[in-house]
Amino acid sequence: MIPDANFGWTSPVGEVVLGATEKEGGTRSRSYRIGGGTTLPFIETEPESPSPLIAFEICDDPQYWSPIINDFCGDLVRDPGAWAKTAENTYGADLVRLCLTSTKQRDFSNITALGKTVESVLSSTTLPLIIEGSNEPKIDSEVFLKCGETGQGERLLLGTAEAGRYRSIAAAALAYNHSIIAQSPIDINLAKQLNILLKEIGVQKDHIVIDPYTGALGYGFEYSYSAMERIRFSALKGDADLAMPMICAPADSLTIKEVREADAKTRDAMAVEWEFATSLAAAVAGSEIVCVRHPGTVKRLKAAFAALKNRTGA
Amino acid sequence: MEGFGITDVTLAKKNGNEQLKNKITTISREFSYEDTAYHLPVSYALTGITVHNKNTANDVFTKTGGNPLVAEECLLAEATAVNGKEPEPYTGFISDTVIRKLGYSLVDGSILGLALIVGTPKSAESAAAICRELQEKYMLTFLSGGVIPSLSSAGVKLGLDYRLVPLGSRPLHSVHFVDIVARVAMMFGGVSPGDIHRLLAYAAERAKAIVIVFPGLSDEEIAFIDGLRVLGFPILSLGGYEGGDWIVAAPSEIVRTGMEMKGIKVSVTAIPIPMGCSPAFEGKSIRKEEMQVEFGGGRSPAFELLRMKNPGEIEDGKVTVIGPEIDSMKEGSAYPLAILVDVAGKTMKKDYEPVLERRIHNFVNYGEGSWHVAQRDLIWVRISKEAFAKGVKIEHLGKLLAGKFRMDFPKLIDAVAVTLITDPEKVLAGKKEAEKIYDERDARIRGMHDDDVSTYYSCTLCQTFAPNHVCVITPERPALCGAISWLDGKIAYEMSPSGANQPIEKGALLNAGNGEFDGVNRFVKKASHGEIERCSLYSVMEYPMTCCGCFEVIALMLPEVNGIMVVNREYKGMTPSGMTFSTLAGTIGGGAQTPGFAGISKNYILSDRFLQGEGGIERLVWMPSQLKEELRPRLKPMLEAKGHPDLFDKIADENTAATIEDLAVFLEKVGHPALTMKPLM
Repeated sequence: MIPDANFGWTSPVGEVVLGATEKEGGTRSRSYRIGGGTTLPFIETEPESPSPLIAFEICDDPQYWSPIINDFCGDLVRDPGAWAKTAENTYGADLVRLCLTSTKQRDFSNITALGKTVESVLSSTTLPLIIEGSNEPKIDSEVFLKCGETGQGERLLLGTAEAGRYRSIAAAALAYNHSIIAQSPIDINLAKQLNILLKEIGVQKDHIVIDPYTGALGYGFEYSYSAMERIRFSALKGDADLAMPMICAPADSLTIKEVREADAKTRDAMAVEWEFATSLAAAVAGSEIVCVRHPGTVKRLKAAFAALKNRTGA
Repeated sequence: MEGFGITDVTLAKKNGNEQLKNKITTISREFSYEDTAYHLPVSYALTGITVHNKNTANDVFTKTGGNPLVAEECLLAEATAVNGKEPEPYTGFISDTVIRKLGYSLVDGSILGLALIVGTPKSAESAAAICRELQEKYMLTFLSGGVIPSLSSAGVKLGLDYRLVPLGSRPLHSVHFVDIVARVAMMFGGVSPGDIHRLLAYAAERAKAIVIVFPGLSDEEIAFIDGLRVLGFPILSLGGYEGGDWIVAAPSEIVRTGMEMKGIKVSVTAIPIPMGCSPAFEGKSIRKEEMQVEFGGGRSPAFELLRMKNPGEIEDGKVTVIGPEIDSMKEGSAYPLAILVDVAGKTMKKDYEPVLERRIHNFVNYGEGSWHVAQRDLIWVRISKEAFAKGVKIEHLGKLLAGKFRMDFPKLIDAVAVTLITDPEKVLAGKKEAEKIYDERDARIRGMHDDDVSTYYSCTLCQTFAPNHVCVITPERPALCGAISWLDGKIAYEMSPSGANQPIEKGALLNAGNGEFDGVNRFVKKASHGEIERCSLYSVMEYPMTCCGCFEVIALMLPEVNGIMVVNREYKGMTPSGMTFSTLAGTIGGGAQTPGFAGISKNYILSDRFLQGEGGIERLVWMPSQLKEELRPRLKPMLEAKGHPDLFDKIADENTAATIEDLAVFLEKVGHPALTMKPLM
């Protein structure tokens, strides 16, 4: 029995557009309008809202990536362009999320190389792009300027703004018309506060995606779930400062003991299982985008979302 | 008169504007800039009109009421079309691509503000010094006219990389400064072309820009520069001009004055003292054996005082020591000390003094080798042997305080000066003065009533674990944790306007006894995410405030005796309710509203508002003896003043009434007023 989807909600979730086609001034093969939901996911009587998007995460320096993924993807991990292309054509992802892990290197300063990486990913895939930028506050300014500039016109989603560290990313969003991920540590009030700070600096609410921070299933995800639920309730009850789409990245799933210590034969299956279960729970809690790292997780999620959409309600 | 006379700004402006009226009609040919989507940006931003020829130029000039900025923009655009761009190093019109990067740096905070320098300096050295100061203060400076060759002759390097941008050879090339501001407003500020009100608001509030004028401007140039005032940019001159609204300042002061006027602040990042300074050292005490010298603590006179001063009255960062320094003090001895902190700031208020003064305690403890306890004239300060060996002096306590106050209260405080007195006579004299001020402050806070203010403050800090809890803080009812008073809430809001303490307009009174206001209800409903509909400030029984879990004291009804009991966190024993504090706390916390129970602060018990909804403090029947002793000095006189000289002794404790049955007997015996009051339920 499916409950009545109308809980007396008053307002829809705000919308954010990701990616730009040639007609829209970019070079992507498609763009997405995410958000806009009027109730909780998967309980509409008409399956009118689209399934959550699945972003496949890649990186530009695999020494900071999970060895499970490095082994599985092989040589691809040293070529972000080819990797992104495979994510689109073979893995079946909706989005590519490029994590600039090279900025984790000590005293990293090769900003030009970052620009080249972003260019090569943009030219190798036609999917809209999420870029996860600097890992070091000192170089935020240069990194986000470079990302923003290189992706001008492509309506990127840039990550990640935090309280106390959001100015550079906000500047890139404002200067080059990108959207940004605003992350708070599993706390509805800090999520709201960050959105207000972003608003004050001039970022429009239709350029913000909330990242409530995702713990791995069994390792704190219940807190994430509860924060997401409350963020979404507040949005639907009319709190404009929380009425943005959400993004979840259960990357922590790959570092938990069960996955890390699994024997070689079951390791991939275990990684997929954990990523899948956490991502699915995040989607059910209202996330509009889920980000995964194991290629095997993408298909599992697609199938699960389709099944949730097609259920008859009986 | 070294080449230039004194020019009257008002007169020159009038002449200049007349000249412009004629000049604008001389425009004859077509013109446009490349590399921009904003046409002539100033005209476009102000009117939405795209100007490219004589007719449109005259059109915007008329529409803007003969604005000199618009006139000069059109004239310069035509002149550029006729004569071409000026050669290097002059930049001329700057492309949108570069402006995007500049705007990025402004939003990003790597540039704090913009400065325009025009005119011809009398001395290249002083111009160079001003530019150096602007560079050091993270300002991006644009130059036009004679100042450019002057700086070059002094060997100053120019260019965007040096944050000194030479726009053009004539003062009127500063049009490009204005077209940059106009484009930043349209690109970053969401200002649509033609929306003059938003443009002006953006320029005044967001565009942190100042204008510095050297002598030698013509009437037309003066009219143009004066026209920048409409954007809210202060015009500062180094002399050579009089009248009008230009501010004259000395070369050594001009940058600071301008930045202060626009509220541009350089943040302090490191405090130059020979010891570590971090909250990490806060809990570390300095024992007697580790101590080099000490002050106060009953061993010598000492006090601290923070006062508000007018801006300009104090020099930011100045530290003065009056009396002997640490190196002439005997190891292990006590000396007198006065810590005087003077602060100034546009948003600073006298009411904030005590709140800020409390921070001296934290800040001194941040020092790796300095230690501080208590407050006002009870302070006790030590400096460690280790710190002394590293070269720490009394002066450095002042530097630490000046630095930390600026760092932690950037919005509130523009300037801090610290005076440390070790001269015994002067400390004693100062202490007398300070004591007067402490008394005045106490009177002011004591005298504050809920009825005196229309705004209360919320606290939702605890929503991290009590998701729907909302504290409403009033002058007479501090937060239930006892840590945040109404003044603290107010100051916290000023410092962090989007933080956990928000103003609550109390609105219309719905129930005077219970203290229910429609504004408070509205706020609480929203802040509790729709969970709590009503909230009475002064009642335990009807719609009491929610509880997080931090309450100092729990007040609860005892229907059997028609009264209310209170129990504090420190009390571990059983109460007549049959529950201990911790059991009670588990029952009412977590953000729930539980009629009959309320979490409160100790000080609230002493307020006239306590239990107002239930008929007043006469309802109070029981409290642990330890709490009773703690409150005795203030509670007893307060009850006497209310006409109940014997009520204090009629309040039972665990010794006189351990159970509810004992309590009923005790209250009957002493004739407690609660027994004859209106039934609670």
